[in-house]
Amino acid sequence: MKRLKNLVSWLLIVCLMLAALPLALAEGVIDEGLSCTITLGNWPPDTAPEAEKALFENYRAIMARQYPNVTLVPDYYSYTLSNYVPMAKGGTAPSIFQPPFTDPQLLISQHLVGDVTDALAAFGVLDKFSPSYVEMLADENGRIYGLPRDGYVLGMHINLNLFREAGLMDENGLPLYPKTLQELAEYGQIIREKTGKAGLVFPASETYGGWLFTNIAWNFGCVGESALEYQDEDGRWVCNFTSPECIAAMEYIRDLRWKYDILNADATTTDWAGAHSLLGTGEAAMNFAADDSVDQPTANKGLPVEDFALIPFPAGDFGRYALAGGTCYMFAPNITKDQGVALMAYLRILGKLPFLDEDIIAGMRADYAAKRDRGAPVLPAISAWNDEEYNAAKQAIVDEYCNVDMRLYNDFFDSVTQGTISLKSEEPVFAQQLYRELTAVIQRMITREGADVVKALQKAQDSFQEYLDDEINDY
Amino acid sequence: MKSIQRTGVIRDYDMHSASVRAGYGLILALCVLLVIVAVFPLIWVVLAGFKDLKEFVSSTSLLPEKYDISMFTTTWNQLGIAKNYLNSLISVVGSVVCALVFNGLLGYGIGILRPKGYGVVKKMVMFSLLMPTTISIVPLFMNIQNLGMGNSFLPLWLSFGANAMYIILFVQFFESLPMSIIEAGRIDGCSQLQTFFRIVLPLSKPICAVISIFAVNAAWSDFLLPYLVLRGGDKQTVMVRLFVFSTEQTVNADNMMRSVVFSMIPPIILFFIFQKQLTENAVSVGIKG
Amino acid sequence: MRAQPKASRARTAETFKSWLIMLPGLILMCFFVWEPLFESIRMSLYKTRNVELVRFVGLDNFISVVTKDDFLQALQNTFSYTFWSLLIGFFLPIVMAILIGETTKGKGFFRTAAYLPNMLPGLAVIILWSAFFSGEKSGVLNILLSGLGIPRQTYLTRAEWVIPIIILIATWKGAGATTLIYMAGMAGVSAELYEAAAIDGATVWQRIIHILLPAVRKLAGTLLILQIISVFQIMYEPMVLTKGGPDNASLSLMQLMWQYAFGGSMNYGKASAVAVIVTLILLLMTAVYSYFNRKESDWD
Repeated sequence: MKRLKNLVSWLLIVCLMLAALPLALAEGVIDEGLSCTITLGNWPPDTAPEAEKALFENYRAIMARQYPNVTLVPDYYSYTLSNYVPMAKGGTAPSIFQPPFTDPQLLISQHLVGDVTDALAAFGVLDKFSPSYVEMLADENGRIYGLPRDGYVLGMHINLNLFREAGLMDENGLPLYPKTLQELAEYGQIIREKTGKAGLVFPASETYGGWLFTNIAWNFGCVGESALEYQDEDGRWVCNFTSPECIAAMEYIRDLRWKYDILNADATTTDWAGAHSLLGTGEAAMNFAADDSVDQPTANKGLPVEDFALIPFPAGDFGRYALAGGTCYMFAPNITKDQGVALMAYLRILGKLPFLDEDIIAGMRADYAAKRDRGAPVLPAISAWNDEEYNAAKQAIVDEYCNVDMRLYNDFFDSVTQGTISLKSEEPVFAQQLYRELTAVIQRMITREGADVVKALQKAQDSFQEYLDDEINDY
Repeated sequence: MKSIQRTGVIRDYDMHSASVRAGYGLILALCVLLVIVAVFPLIWVVLAGFKDLKEFVSSTSLLPEKYDISMFTTTWNQLGIAKNYLNSLISVVGSVVCALVFNGLLGYGIGILRPKGYGVVKKMVMFSLLMPTTISIVPLFMNIQNLGMGNSFLPLWLSFGANAMYIILFVQFFESLPMSIIEAGRIDGCSQLQTFFRIVLPLSKPICAVISIFAVNAAWSDFLLPYLVLRGGDKQTVMVRLFVFSTEQTVNADNMMRSVVFSMIPPIILFFIFQKQLTENAVSVGIKG
Repeated sequence: MRAQPKASRARTAETFKSWLIMLPGLILMCFFVWEPLFESIRMSLYKTRNVELVRFVGLDNFISVVTKDDFLQALQNTFSYTFWSLLIGFFLPIVMAILIGETTKGKGFFRTAAYLPNMLPGLAVIILWSAFFSGEKSGVLNILLSGLGIPRQTYLTRAEWVIPIIILIATWKGAGATTLIYMAGMAGVSAELYEAAAIDGATVWQRIIHILLPAVRKLAGTLLILQIISVFQIMYEPMVLTKGGPDNASLSLMQLMWQYAFGGSMNYGKASAVAVIVTLILLLMTAVYSYFNRKESDWD
């Protein structure tokens, strides 16, 4: 006990010193000549936790010291496609905002976002972008319109209480988790029989079902020639939902409901938050979810971190893919060159460029400490930058704050870092609409016993093809 | 002996018949059932508000394990609902003022002044009554954005000044006023506007009360246009917040149920204060409209 | 010109002032109702990119919208909503009005209780009821049914149940107000009529059929049309409760319009085309409405 106290006070002193560091370093004005105003979306509103507000106030203070003539205007704006477009058109979009990775290409093609290539070059980080992100955030001429905020890789959240209850633990206290989709069905069945709870929660409402389904379909072989979406030799976008692989994947979903019966009761109205609720409260044992949402079942829904584990996405017979995506920063279409530089300076302070100065390290520490206090797992982030030194330094800090048994997470992270699982980003065009179409098919499969898979997929394919023709091919 | 007047189909002497008495008993039972069906969900949602997330998701009991009012206060504080209440209040007050002034004046023009050509306006208003505003919400939203009125209460207030139903209620009421009084005012040298404020308005308290209640309720409950206009900003009303909760999934189910309770409290208070006006006046208005 | 009588000139001034008084209201009606309606007709004829009109395409948007499966499904659903709303929502208020009308003690209380749900915000009502129709064992209906020994059910996952469920919820909220309107109508029937019929030997049942119901027949006709028109615009209820699912089984026309506009594809042209189609259907119903309403109203 005494040792713990000592440790805590020691940590406190370190923290205080670290907090004081920026003040000491504050002398460094970086650019007095830069003079402009930037509005910052996603600023924490009055109702946000005090700690978060303080964090952003601190960013603002640092910015004011480094760039005394840049004015920051907080904006509480939070991005949705529907509210953004009229604002961009009306010239009222905030200078910086945060869309998900499904939207950048759409926004870029419609000229609704600003170009920051020159600003990135000014900071010397243009070449450190991980190539998959360049693909996501640039136009065909290689001009860059966004920066990754944080990336995620899809895997599976599991509730260890239910695994224990179902006897699916080894002698080391580690879960015997499903490595393949076939095992997922079987383990789910064991859990349902032993505990009466759902083996798998499958949020099949609106677009979520289709989103998860694409990953399952890849593992059934819907890649390359059997891809769900591809460009033919004439450059037309074509969708293909009726390949044998896709049909097999959809039959698998149907079997989860009717053959193995492992899904939660209201799958068709369960959304993302609902899925985390069911896993976190012990009503379901497994949930397809990513490493960036581990705080959901734990800190937010009340599952203690020791009863939670993150495992890799189960493999299929023809593939082992995991969907990788995330949120990015993008910029208003009318930003000036100066604003671009100011925005990159702001992102550097937030630690979103591959630089580690004392401020950023202090910020990371504060962030991890807060996570640990909330009862959320502190995990290494998957880096969006190809910069080994930077990545290693970050990992060292994570290790200090780690509050989980990493054995429950290692397989997941190893599969990503060692390349035993292939990362794949979302389907390239109009992904949200594709998810919507596929979700409808999934809903049909899990609400009607004996529904015709091929017919439903054919219908979705026709409908989505027409959409593609309208929106791109014959535009 | 006749303490209670029967106004229905069943007459007093019918009650001598055993079968009618039984039927009457059945009617009472059905009415009690009706009350239960109407009120039970409200009682339930308050009870559910005492549950935490795990209990709400898992418990098979209608009653909470414990009655701790701090469940409600914590949610109230954490989500900052007070701010949303204030926003709703601002939205409601402005909306009621606009609903009375603009619709009242237009109704006065159509119902009493009747200048040359008023018939066209009357027909257009009648036509709009049957057109839902949601149908043209897309261009309306674009107009609002183009005028730079996004994230402002102004378009929401003014939208209540363009309500075909309220205009028609005003017109009907004004038409029922005795023209002689209005004529008298005109002869006394009142201008048209003076006539409105000195003679018509004082006579129109009942209709103003009814429209105010309607407008308060509608402004409180409205969320589609406010959602588009007030977007992610700090002006969100209670209902916009609730809609955001339900679409953006940032709030746990137990907090959601407590937010539902919060959103229902003001209308229920309003209901109990204006019960009589609502169940009597509003009905007579409804019959005409 | 000079010769123009003073009275006439005064009347012109009067007319001008009258229009001036109506002007603020007219401007608002234009801005919020008429211009957007006109604009959506215009937009429905254009290919749009976001909020810009790219080029005139005639009826292309309509053709493209109408030939899609989800439109046909939404149209069919919308009629299904209307059907169920007539089955559940139309007769119930009449029955409730008769029942409450017959009570003596407690009539005010019954009336108040019946009206109460009508005051509640529609969105809150939907969220509240979503907990009743949850398919988990903690769903309120499942708890109540398990008390009766009935095993747990799922509700919103059943394509054939979702529309009736949504109508049930809408009826729970709305029936009280309609009931009160019927009660006011029924109160207009003189008690002497019943007395006279009773003396002639008419049973209670016969009195209801031959005196009470005919008295509210016209009222019922009006309310029926109004109800059809309002149910036809149903949107946020399925949007919040089922998001149109499962497999579009509860998708309504207005919801389809919202999806085109704000659901990710931002195709305002097609959204407007759906809006115009709904408007046309409503116009048709309006024509029916005024036909039925012709004799009772001085409004046309």
